[in-house]
Amino acid sequence: MKKKKLLSMFLVAAMTVSLAACGGGGDDTVTNNSDDNSGDNSGSDVQDVAGTEAINESVSGTEAAGGAPAGDRPDTPSGQIVIGSMTDLEDDFYDTNYTVTATNYKTYNIIHGYDTVVTTKEGEWITDPTVVADIQQAENEDGTKTFTITLNDGLVWTDGTNVTAKDYVFATLLESSPEMMGVDNYSGTNYTQIDGWDAFSSGETKNLKGMRLIDDKTFSLTVSAEELPYHYDLAYAGVRPRPLAVIAPGCDIVDSEEGASISGDFTTDVLLETIGNTDTGYRYNPQVTCGPYRLESYDASSRQGTFVVNELYAGNYEGMKPMIEKVIIKTVTAETEINELKAGTVDLLFEISGGESIEAGLDLVDAGVAQKHTYFRNGYGLIRFDCSQFPTDSEKVRQAIALCLDRNEFAKKYSGGYASIVHGDYGLAQWEYQEAKDWIDQNLNTYEKDIEAAKTLLAEDGWTLNADGSEYSGEGLRYKDVNGELKPLEIQWCNTKDNPVSELLSTMLPEAMKEAGMDLKATTVDFPTLSAAIDHQGETIYNMYNLATGFSLQHSPWYYYGMDEKYMGGGYNSSWIKDEALASAAEALKTIPLEDTEQWLEKWKELQVVWNQKLPVVPLYSDEYHDFYSNKLQGWDTTSIWDWSQALLHAWVTE
Amino acid sequence: MRKGRYLLKRLIYIIFVFFIISILMFTIYKALPGDPVKMMMGDNVKPEVYQQQYDIIREQLGLDDPIPVQYIKWITNMLRGDFGYSTEYRRPVKDVIGVPMRNTVLLNLFSMIIVFAVAVPLGITTAVRKNSIFDKFIQVITIVGYSVPSFVIALLAIYLFAIRIPLFPISGVKTAGFEGTGMAAFLDSAKHMILPVLVMSVGGIGSITRYVRASMIDALRMDYIKTARSKGLREKVVIYVHAFRNALVPVVTVTTWWLIGLFGGSVVIESIFLWDGLGKMMITGLSQRDFAVVLAMQMFYVILSLVGNVLMDIAYTLVDPRVRLEN
Repeated sequence: MKKKKLLSMFLVAAMTVSLAACGGGGDDTVTNNSDDNSGDNSGSDVQDVAGTEAINESVSGTEAAGGAPAGDRPDTPSGQIVIGSMTDLEDDFYDTNYTVTATNYKTYNIIHGYDTVVTTKEGEWITDPTVVADIQQAENEDGTKTFTITLNDGLVWTDGTNVTAKDYVFATLLESSPEMMGVDNYSGTNYTQIDGWDAFSSGETKNLKGMRLIDDKTFSLTVSAEELPYHYDLAYAGVRPRPLAVIAPGCDIVDSEEGASISGDFTTDVLLETIGNTDTGYRYNPQVTCGPYRLESYDASSRQGTFVVNELYAGNYEGMKPMIEKVIIKTVTAETEINELKAGTVDLLFEISGGESIEAGLDLVDAGVAQKHTYFRNGYGLIRFDCSQFPTDSEKVRQAIALCLDRNEFAKKYSGGYASIVHGDYGLAQWEYQEAKDWIDQNLNTYEKDIEAAKTLLAEDGWTLNADGSEYSGEGLRYKDVNGELKPLEIQWCNTKDNPVSELLSTMLPEAMKEAGMDLKATTVDFPTLSAAIDHQGETIYNMYNLATGFSLQHSPWYYYGMDEKYMGGGYNSSWIKDEALASAAEALKTIPLEDTEQWLEKWKELQVVWNQKLPVVPLYSDEYHDFYSNKLQGWDTTSIWDWSQALLHAWVTE
Repeated sequence: MRKGRYLLKRLIYIIFVFFIISILMFTIYKALPGDPVKMMMGDNVKPEVYQQQYDIIREQLGLDDPIPVQYIKWITNMLRGDFGYSTEYRRPVKDVIGVPMRNTVLLNLFSMIIVFAVAVPLGITTAVRKNSIFDKFIQVITIVGYSVPSFVIALLAIYLFAIRIPLFPISGVKTAGFEGTGMAAFLDSAKHMILPVLVMSVGGIGSITRYVRASMIDALRMDYIKTARSKGLREKVVIYVHAFRNALVPVVTVTTWWLIGLFGGSVVIESIFLWDGLGKMMITGLSQRDFAVVLAMQMFYVILSLVGNVLMDIAYTLVDPRVRLEN
């Protein structure tokens, strides 16, 4: 008996020690949106999750144990950092048309560059002055718009050859061509805005009408009339060059009145070798690039990538060049990532999420072992309603469900106190939010938990009957007479397994909904199944889902609330909401000129009001990300729209 | 002759079962909800051209064909050595599974060597010294070994041997930024392999020690052991030549499954130690609806299992002449 007791004690002790010691139990990510698949976070010193006030004073902040002033930044690259990433780095370095993993996405930014149009750290769209000497915009009689771009001198590839206008024109032709689509199903949709894209991409013509090569330093890009007017029209002038001589050796760019074309042996077979060869192809091993770093090596067995500084890089839009000589990316896991930082096997952990991991990281900061930097996520976890499905096709039912959840309490419990909540279709890093914080607090319904109000809404919506058709007794499930048929107020909820958000909702929502007269029926599935259900593949069953989303810098609500069938599914109008007021409010933004920020903000506010009332989504929490990094890393300053791949250019290391 | 006929029948059986399982597997995976093309495209494509691109990719992947046609194309290609196209990695499956398979086999091979090197002598010793304090102590340890979940052992091992006493790396296959080659590269890799191999071995040592012990206890009770001892044979000869040989049949069963298991990845170990192997690949394949990868791996395991059974039967005849290969 004594032996058994000893054995039990040993087992309990072993489990306790192991779980406690290895730090950061690691919340599972609930972010299933590819815009934000790097993780879901919360945390910082901000413990208040009561509302937007919590973040007003702290959109981003750094608490450094060993921070050095910017004046100490060296003028020659030195040292190295190891970046720990929660998602694997794949040997895929072309663009998002091949791989959309968060880590690869960021490596595209560090090895490729010289885009004509970029976004600043503040999220503003600009032409890159390091790349573009001059840009002329002309609105044509046929409704198209032509951007004529002249490049600066001194832009070179890593092999020392000049980056010319041909490389820019080539990029648009290559990535729109049917030949390229034959290379491992490349989705050639980077330049759909260019006039004549349809005919060119289908192989109908060999010339891309909207692209013209003017001289070695100048090219023009004409945007088709169907794409205009468009708020982000400057983004349409964005082109990332590709090395013509490497990808299509022996080929040339030929200009004509019908548009630019590629001459020579430009075939899928050639591209399968120059791009698709797994040893030497540009997709797997790009050696002629023009970003701040160049790929030195990739180790397939460990999925580690090593990048060294590109000495020939001319700088980003600010003229900043990297001062960290070598960057290594390796995978880490939530269970041990903080220990890796402590052990010195990684130097940077970014976008850390979950109370346990954050607390473990903060312990390192307190001990002087590491530094931290915090910023709010530009997105949120949410409940998404299917607004085409009875009974969530009613906005009052959606509002009633929102009123059954204490979102402040939810965010607090979920994040361990490291999150905020939002009340509209915006991310906390968006400039509109920064401008309109006070207005939001005064004008948007915060849907504080109020079951009595939920009951009133349901009664107004006609949910006033019992199962036998008599007047609702005030208890139990509500029914409604729909064309002579009594229908119960049942809400089918689809969620994903091993998801802490689902688990927390399961404890906080059903009872409150029951009190209001609703019945929440949960079904747990894996993510692809949930995704298929959202897209209405197969039988449409569910009324709501919980997942997460992120806002891109080219946020386009007219897609997300558009009523046309092409917007339904495919990651756009996933709420299947067909509401004239909402669609109009969103559409009104589309044509506002980029520079007219005042009008944009006004219309944006109008959209928020409509959205807040229609409530296709209930925002649940918006986390505060934590970057933890070793004391040798200096000048670290990220935001949710200025990630590590961009922050690298400002940072340096002190060995 | 009998053996040849038996093996031929088994071969026909293997082919038959292989095709039945392939149909079942293919149908089951195709019936799963979730769209591989949508997972492949992500959310980056503008809605105006989304459907057009979607249709092109579906057609290119042959997903518009009826399921039976898809099956025939798939199985025909597979028999030719073309395992299909990974929608997750956008390249042929054969280009995707090579590295994880090497990592998994390496890890499992070392683990198997350690397990058998420790468990077989330990099982024999505990059987011979049945009910001694040593035997009871090992019994307790082995129960702990195979009953504690591997993730607990893994985290405990990391805490003890990578954090408290930093003898080994916390995770990974190689040191970040390591540029050595040859022996230096091997040693670096070996250093990373020690903890996962040890953790994998704990459970195996626990179960196989007890397996060997039980077989040996049964064998040591047999009359021929008494006869051998009464003939005055040395105890070592009695144990290792007479008893152990007869205890080998069940051990062969376990060994065969371990050999087959060389190619099966451990999701838990691979995830915690970030050892990029087949277990992780299988989970990723399923979660991304990358059916070509998943089906290729599944069918590989089916073949291994079927062939493994035949090899096991042959091995029985080698360790026990009384066993005959016949119907």
